[in-house]
Amino acid sequence: MRVELTNITKLFGPLRAVDDVSLAIGEGDFFTLLGPSGCGKTTLLRTIAGFYNPDAGEIRFGERLINHIPAHRRETGMVFQNYALFPHLSVYDNIAYGLKARRIPKPEIAERIGKILESVQLAGLEKRSPSKLSGGQQQRVALARALVISPQILLMDEPLSNLDAKLRVSMREEIRRIQKKLGITTIYVTHDQEEAMAVSDRIAILNRGRLEQVGTPAEIYYRPESRFAAEFMGSSNIIEMDVTGWDGDQCRIVAETAGQKFSLRGEKPSGARIILSVRPEWIRVVAGQADGEANVLSGTVLSSTFLGSMIRYRVSGPGGTPIVIEVHDPNEGSIRKDGEIIRYRLPPDRPLVIRD
Amino acid sequence: MRKHFQAWNIILVAIFAILFFAVLYPILFIFKASFVDPETGAFSLKSYATFLHYPYYMRCLRNSLFVSTLSTLLAVAIGIPFAFFLSRYRIPGKNLIRTLGTLPLILPTFIGAEAWLILLGRNGLFAKVFHGIGIEIPSIYGWKGIVLVFTLQFFPFVFLMVSAAIHAIDRSLEEAATNLGAGKLRVFFTVTLPVVTPAILSGALVVFYLCIENFGVPVLIGEDFKVLSVQAYNEFISELGGNPAMAGALSMILLAITLGLTIFQKYWVERKNYTMTSLNPIDVKRLRPLPTFLIWLFCAGVVFVALFPFAVVMVSSVTKTQGPVMYFGQFSLENFIRAFTIAPRPIINSFFLATTATLIGIVFGVVVSYLLVRKRGAVSYLLDILVMLPLAIAGTVQGIALAATYNKGFIVLTGTWMILVLAYFIRKAPYSIKTTSSLLQQIDPSVEEASINLGVPPLRSFIRVVIPIMMPGIIAGGIIMWVTTLAELSSTIVLYYGPWATMTVEIFQRIGSGDFGPASAYATILIVSVVIPLFILNRVSGKDLASSL
Repeated sequence: MRVELTNITKLFGPLRAVDDVSLAIGEGDFFTLLGPSGCGKTTLLRTIAGFYNPDAGEIRFGERLINHIPAHRRETGMVFQNYALFPHLSVYDNIAYGLKARRIPKPEIAERIGKILESVQLAGLEKRSPSKLSGGQQQRVALARALVISPQILLMDEPLSNLDAKLRVSMREEIRRIQKKLGITTIYVTHDQEEAMAVSDRIAILNRGRLEQVGTPAEIYYRPESRFAAEFMGSSNIIEMDVTGWDGDQCRIVAETAGQKFSLRGEKPSGARIILSVRPEWIRVVAGQADGEANVLSGTVLSSTFLGSMIRYRVSGPGGTPIVIEVHDPNEGSIRKDGEIIRYRLPPDRPLVIRD
Repeated sequence: MRKHFQAWNIILVAIFAILFFAVLYPILFIFKASFVDPETGAFSLKSYATFLHYPYYMRCLRNSLFVSTLSTLLAVAIGIPFAFFLSRYRIPGKNLIRTLGTLPLILPTFIGAEAWLILLGRNGLFAKVFHGIGIEIPSIYGWKGIVLVFTLQFFPFVFLMVSAAIHAIDRSLEEAATNLGAGKLRVFFTVTLPVVTPAILSGALVVFYLCIENFGVPVLIGEDFKVLSVQAYNEFISELGGNPAMAGALSMILLAITLGLTIFQKYWVERKNYTMTSLNPIDVKRLRPLPTFLIWLFCAGVVFVALFPFAVVMVSSVTKTQGPVMYFGQFSLENFIRAFTIAPRPIINSFFLATTATLIGIVFGVVVSYLLVRKRGAVSYLLDILVMLPLAIAGTVQGIALAATYNKGFIVLTGTWMILVLAYFIRKAPYSIKTTSSLLQQIDPSVEEASINLGVPPLRSFIRVVIPIMMPGIIAGGIIMWVTTLAELSSTIVLYYGPWATMTVEIFQRIGSGDFGPASAYATILIVSVVIPLFILNRVSGKDLASSL
């Protein structure tokens, strides 16, 4: 089932919790709403579930406008952050709850519960009370309860945030496996960028109620459109430069900072200044002392962290903000000490320019 | 969703209307009445002037403060060691002592007063025995008897609050003090005692409040020693042309005191409480035989003295009586036979009124709890204050206010059974609200949303998910409402009329006319009806009897 949001706005008093968001989520997509707390991702999810009415905009499931369909008739399955299991019902009755509401005959309920318990690996725990389950098991019950009604759309609100780090990784893989098997359109909310990258087909980054960028994990990582997207998804060095020219034939920008010349890939800049986002592992340390080489900067090593497979330097940067450089698989002999001068090159052929 | 929201708004308006008509308006009504000259009908400060001018009225205030202060001090003096001994030392029969030690506070105080009259009143059993051997024991009438009954019935509040505070102290706290070089006594006075002081204060405040608002004990054994609640009642009820303005003024003075205490408790004492999570409770020590015996003697002795009177009442109920003369040792079921066959109305009335008020109170309590917990905001804050307000109003005052307000005019309720139900449910609903809302607070709102998301409409989700989750609280709150309603004397005595006399009224009147036998029969029925449900509740929920009061 496709989900289409058009110009959705949700106000809480003067606060624009969701501000003019438009999204199209494809059939069977695993779509993640990613952003820091308070960015509006949960509000947007709850608006889709029908727990909030949008103040403006349209929500469509497939072709059908569902703005005025109450929450209990939207046929979505939702997994809540704290699982929201019914404490007074057994595992079996928790999962059966939605089926009973749909007046499914008893034998069929039993059959469907049997199947779903199988696929979330909870067979044998039917009679348990939710309070007697571990966090991971509660999570599986919540997932089973949402999936057993065969919803058109699966909604998940930070489902892994209450689990420990190790369990989070295995659970997210399992969620992804089940989602792929069922081919169900899934909207997933998280603040964890690593989790988002690991599970999503596509990601929408939200900031202060507004959409920053939508794309596949790779698109956002390699081509962040905004400073916020660049910094939220992975880490990034933000460098400002003055534009000195543009070569339309080669699609290259000529720019300058700290007396150094740069040649960078990019569209014709609109202003006199450009902002670059450079991932730490894209920067290369270069040998030698010679000055004047294009795209090369030099700085003092402020600190370094040796992590075995990688070494991370903090080096004084051209604008005053330190630049982070990651050297993968470093040679033991080439490790620089604090206070040494280091020369490094920004990649000339990657798209680095972002909007402010 | 929007419709759902509107439905709750309508309910909210209805609840505010009920609270306005049952609580706020009657209080404002007597507040206004207290400023009206009963003869001319004009605005006047005459009642307050009279109060200040005549030593007779001022003495009521002084008496109230005197017995309450003294009883509170004594209750604290008994409650603290009682709590410490039971929490810190190994004593034989500890669990029994603990259970029995909480019992007095659920037993109606006026029955305690009756028991001491049977023992030490004129013609009292002990009084006669001691007189026979030539010892004159001090009279039970007046302030001494009042203080005796108050102390014995209310010390468990101090005991319970202090024990809870002691159990919240982690072992490491006292160990840290010891490690820093403090000796045993020093640890107690510099660490343990200061840490439990807020609990002592809370307990003391509760006791003081219960003393000052109490009506049954001073009216029964105070005789010429008049306190505020009794005098307000006398002014209101007086056959020789009662003085509504004076009753109003006295009620207002009593209300100012109880309200002040409640506000003080809520905004000052509660804030001083230390929040601690005890991981390792302090070890229970075993003492040498002699100290153990002395500690046991104190605890068991206190419990015995506190409960003995109730045993006396129960024995009296099966004793042959003739008016005020009781033939102890001569067994007779006559009192019960009379109560059940000739005059069963009070029993039926009590059960009918308590049950009706409880059922209404439960529905009211569930809806209010839901609004308080789930629909937070300025309105729910106001609702919280209004709904808990009756807890800060003495029963006598509330009774007078309701009776005076609905005596004539647009709605006439005075003289009907409905006004009793109204008074009961509005006064007792806070218990139900406390138990249900504390349960509801622990349940995340998403549980309800999960039900809606799975296809069950909001109202049905509320019934199928929220109500079952709240059920233990509803049952516990309902039982507490039911038993406290059954034992309610102070508002009943003002509001009842002839055919709707309850057991409490019947006991009160029989004691007044010296018919201790029949009074004891009704009192026994009342004691059993109060203790058994609470005992079952205690067993099922595993909580202290009084923790919800």
